[in-house]
Amino acid sequence: MSSRVARGALVAAALACNGGLQPTPAPPAISGIVTYRGAVPDSTQAVYVVAYHTFPHSRDSLFTFQPPVQSLRQLPLGGAAAPYSIPVESGRYEWVLAVWVKRGFTSANADSTLRETGYYRDPADTSQPGVVDVLTQPATSIDFVIDFGQMHPPCRYYTPPCP
Amino acid sequence: MRLPAATALLLVARTLGAQTAIVYGTVRNVATGVGVANANVFVPGTALKTLSGTDGRYLLRNVPAGQVEIRAVVVGYPPAVRTVLLAAGDSVEIDFDLRGLAAAVDDLHAFTTEPLIVTAAKHSQLLAQAVTSVALVSDTDLARRAVSTVDEAVNRAPGVQFLSGQVNIRGSSGFVEGLGSRVLLLVDGVPANQGDRGGIDWDMVPLAEVAHVEVLKGAGSSLYGSAALGGVVNVITRETPLGFHARLRATGGAYANPPFDVWRFRDGVGALGGLDATASYGQGAVRGSLTLGGRHSDGYREQDRSDQWEMSGKAEWLPQPGTRVTTSGAWTSHQHEVFPTWCVPVPPGTRACDTRGQAFQPFLIDLSGAGSYTRSNKGYLTATLDRTVSSRFSWEARGSWLRTHFTDVNPDDWAVSNRFGGEVRGVSRNPSGRVVTAGAEVARGDVTSDIFGDHTQNQVGVYGEAEGLLGGGRVTAGTRIDYLDADSSEATAVLSPRVGAVLPSRIGTWRASAGRGFRAPTLAERFVNTRALGFQVIPNPALHPETAWSFEVGNAAPIASWARLDAALFWTEARQLLEPSFVLVVDSTTKDTVQKIQIQNVSRARLRGLDASLVVTPFPSLTGTIAYLFLDARDLANDSVLAFRPKQLLTLSADYRWRMFSVGGDFRYSSRIERIELEPVFGGDPRVAAKVLDLRASWQRGALAARLLVANALNYIYNLVPRTLEPVRTASVVLTWTY
Repeated sequence: MSSRVARGALVAAALACNGGLQPTPAPPAISGIVTYRGAVPDSTQAVYVVAYHTFPHSRDSLFTFQPPVQSLRQLPLGGAAAPYSIPVESGRYEWVLAVWVKRGFTSANADSTLRETGYYRDPADTSQPGVVDVLTQPATSIDFVIDFGQMHPPCRYYTPPCP
Repeated sequence: MRLPAATALLLVARTLGAQTAIVYGTVRNVATGVGVANANVFVPGTALKTLSGTDGRYLLRNVPAGQVEIRAVVVGYPPAVRTVLLAAGDSVEIDFDLRGLAAAVDDLHAFTTEPLIVTAAKHSQLLAQAVTSVALVSDTDLARRAVSTVDEAVNRAPGVQFLSGQVNIRGSSGFVEGLGSRVLLLVDGVPANQGDRGGIDWDMVPLAEVAHVEVLKGAGSSLYGSAALGGVVNVITRETPLGFHARLRATGGAYANPPFDVWRFRDGVGALGGLDATASYGQGAVRGSLTLGGRHSDGYREQDRSDQWEMSGKAEWLPQPGTRVTTSGAWTSHQHEVFPTWCVPVPPGTRACDTRGQAFQPFLIDLSGAGSYTRSNKGYLTATLDRTVSSRFSWEARGSWLRTHFTDVNPDDWAVSNRFGGEVRGVSRNPSGRVVTAGAEVARGDVTSDIFGDHTQNQVGVYGEAEGLLGGGRVTAGTRIDYLDADSSEATAVLSPRVGAVLPSRIGTWRASAGRGFRAPTLAERFVNTRALGFQVIPNPALHPETAWSFEVGNAAPIASWARLDAALFWTEARQLLEPSFVLVVDSTTKDTVQKIQIQNVSRARLRGLDASLVVTPFPSLTGTIAYLFLDARDLANDSVLAFRPKQLLTLSADYRWRMFSVGGDFRYSSRIERIELEPVFGGDPRVAAKVLDLRASWQRGALAARLLVANALNYIYNLVPRTLEPVRTASVVLTWTY
């Protein structure tokens, strides 16, 4: 009887002590280094990196980016450069960009409080956005420049673009 | 002999009302270091006598004040005699070290349900007299846990948790990379926090020199000044016995490899080992001891090797009864690789590490920290003069010097700091039972460093506390005022009052206290100028001391002849807490606005909860402890959970002895830490609750003892602070030979 109790206690202890850190395959993600240019505006609330499967050509598709809003992480704004990594679904992304958010942002005033402030460019033609394929492994080295002196409102990319 | 709390308190109350004192202590076999049972301890020419218990402990009450001779006699040993000068109302520890043929094998392991004596009030008193909670790690606990350092020994004390080397008492400190501990370390009552960073070097005092450790919970600044905001850890070193004695302590062991192949980082097994040798000699008025030691560890993860050499010594001179001059010191040189943070796909630098397709690799380093290495030398010297002038008055004067010197490689930083301290203290005891403690303390810290600059900081404090009997209880009131300045700036005054009471009742002994604590900003917090996590860290010389009011109500009750419960409700309101904060600063060169880190007086916090422990001894060979801490820690400035404070901490311990063998274990559960600092950087990292099982076994025969410890026996993989793996399963054997 006592040995059964001891065995039971041992099993209970073993079960109680499972659940520690486990190997976790890296989720699909886009990662790289952003390099900063220009002065961070005083009205800055945050800067995020997001990715679009297809270009947001209208206000309706402005919030279709990855990762979901609740998974967004601010970029650290100190220094000349910073690493980033955003969890995304597997797939093809036409536009990977940094979004500057002004203080006082709400979804209703997004056109005036959001700015594109840099995006990943096609290595073969740096005037065009680069396409990123994310399979089951992270897409790494998606590096680009964030220039606080060259920020553009989202409607610039709408069809038709804003004036 | 085991004394229930109520009995002990009754003894104290009776004793304090008369011109008598309490004498207590342990009768030991010096060859084995263990207690001797059934020793007859008595005062010749009187009816005062008692027998030591199974653990060798004894207690004599109603011993007349004045110079008294006390003897310990037991079959198989020559009689031992000690002469002491007792003050009325005093509680004095007198140990007897017996040399003889008896091996006392059956007294191998001491088990007590109630450690009795503490020095939390800057004078010796029974635990039941303390107005705040005190946890005591006894010499028995230290021996049977078979650990190598003081922090490992203290880590399982009720309500105490270490976060990557930073001590928390009821969640006091959180985790700030070792900067600015809110716990004060004392070595034999002498402050020993670093002069520059305010942190604690736990490797400074060799464990072989430690007799026991007292953990004072709650604000202790009314007596101890700065840094005692969240509690005090007082390390008491061993008394030097008469005659020649020696002790060798050899340690060897191995670390388990990662439990999953994808995490493996080496082909072989990591090893650890060490050797300590102590020799002491005492005769007549002069005694001295010296300990030399060294240890090596391969570490349990990549880039984790360490080597340490240590030396400590103590000399005592007793020129006349009632006078003692003590000098002590220690020096440690510790060279160790630094595990930066673990490897993730995007490290906080630009050198990617090989994650092998994993989200994180807890045993591998982030390559931006490759080659990080620290050489840390540290030591202290103290000199103390104790004088018992009469049965009513005693005084003590001491001076101390603490020096730390670290050199880091990658990043290349260095700092040399000194902390000079001095204190004069008097204790007056009145026949009516009133005890008045008053003193003055000065401290001067300085630092020369490439990241802290060249600065000094001064502190002058005066304090007084009175204890007296009131009705059926005991009341304590006192205060301390400190003047602080850095680089001769305008001095800041901080007042730290405290009141408390102890009241025996039918349902146990009640205690209540309210006190204010503070912590002065350290030189490092004021003047640090470096880079961390990719950000510039900038100085803030205008920092103010952080303060806290702490309240506690507790009860200690013997709930049966074999069980004792101690529970306390505590509440701390902290103001102007020093925390690293992000600030936007215009760069003077580029004119860009950039984010930087600066220590600021930003946080208000509330920490409240329940701290309870139950000690049971259902039969003499079995003892068990359940300790539970519930902590509700709120950051009032941000209306969120305070970072790095687990809500629940549970410790289960049990030990069983059979003849010359014993087995035991500890289980520690710490709930998942809900919030950490720097969420934008580390918030996506996995965090789990900590569930750690330690197992131990020991054997002793005569002068030889062997102890086996399997720490984290189930090889539970977890972390408490970001990207820093806690120790894996570690099996070690400690062999001790005592002469």
